[in-house]
Amino acid sequence: MSPRHGDGPAREPDASMSLLSDVFRRPLEPGYHDAARRRAAHPDAPTTWTHRIVILVITVLLGLAVTAATVALRRPSATAVQARHLLERQIADQTTRADAAQRTITATSGELTALQEQVLAGEDPLLLARLQLDAGPSGVVAVRGPGLRVELSDAPAADGADEPDLDHRVQDIDLQVVVNGLWAAGAEAIAINGTRLTSTTAIRSAGSAVLVDLVALSSPYQVDALGDAATLQTELALGSAGQHLATLHDSYGIGVSVTARSLLELPGTGQVNLRFASTPRATATASPGPGVAGSVLPQEGSSP
Amino acid sequence: MIALIGLALGVVAGLLLQPTVPTELQPYLPIAVVAALDALFGGLRATLDGIFDDRVFVVSFLSNVVLAALIVFLGDQLGVGSQLSTAVVVVLGIRIFSNAAAIRRHLFRA
Repeated sequence: MSPRHGDGPAREPDASMSLLSDVFRRPLEPGYHDAARRRAAHPDAPTTWTHRIVILVITVLLGLAVTAATVALRRPSATAVQARHLLERQIADQTTRADAAQRTITATSGELTALQEQVLAGEDPLLLARLQLDAGPSGVVAVRGPGLRVELSDAPAADGADEPDLDHRVQDIDLQVVVNGLWAAGAEAIAINGTRLTSTTAIRSAGSAVLVDLVALSSPYQVDALGDAATLQTELALGSAGQHLATLHDSYGIGVSVTARSLLELPGTGQVNLRFASTPRATATASPGPGVAGSVLPQEGSSP
Repeated sequence: MIALIGLALGVVAGLLLQPTVPTELQPYLPIAVVAALDALFGGLRATLDGIFDDRVFVVSFLSNVVLAALIVFLGDQLGVGSQLSTAVVVVLGIRIFSNAAAIRRHLFRA
């Protein structure tokens, strides 16, 4: 205790927090009270026109500045917009290039096929016939005919949520089961959303997207299968794929519709990757290629 | 009264003209806007208290904005810019809050 205890003005118990209590208890500018007191002391002090004009000019400027600041804060920063435009342009450019390249591939493979047929027609008509016979099942050429369309669509619950809810989305495994079921039911050709399935097509998930042959597809997924619609439908329903579809529909709310179509058009892949070759002479040796394409497995992935 | 008219004119002009803010001032904009809000709420409360004064309002508005920007500038130079910004926002935020509470008491008597 100080020796002058009790003499001076009483010390507030929370004097050490005067800054905080100042902020909390007197949020109004003390100037307003001072001005009010001054006006009370001199009630007839005149307000000059210059005073008013100065106030007006300053407040207009302040309002302008604050509005400008607010507008500037609400606008996305210029660099972000620039980067976005740049990326958008790049995407558009690359997409155009990819489309052009795809067109070139299609044209060139058409030429190749024509040339191949020309050469083979003279040299080996038997091989040509076999080639043309195999072109359909191998998925090289476009095919059309009656068939079955299985349409899978994401459950409504999958949308709207911030986190992608994979349980309510169509996943790669679902498409794999359906496709395997269709092959087993006797489908002659299958395409998903216009991407033809061949013996080497993979159906995979990448995040929430399903990749079919590295092409990203999104819901709804239309699995078109060529063949006798009635047989396909019966066999599909009887197999394990039918049970899987029923579970998808009942437990996860995924949309499943199976319709018979009188005419389906499936595109061809238009190109054959050479994976195995041998010289036609008797001394021929097999090249150390990775293996023979066109084997029995219809696709990669799980078996039903 | 004339101060509020001037402010309203300025806001309308700002919305119509959409002036661009120099990029050097960009870091100080958020704090300046918060300071302006504080002065605005202070003025509103003073009006309701019946002690509003044009000159005090303009001076507090101007000094609030300039001081807040200055503190942030100083903090940036010293390497504690974000901490000082937080301090300014906390103090101004408390003031805005209690002024708004006082205004609410005035308006609703509750």
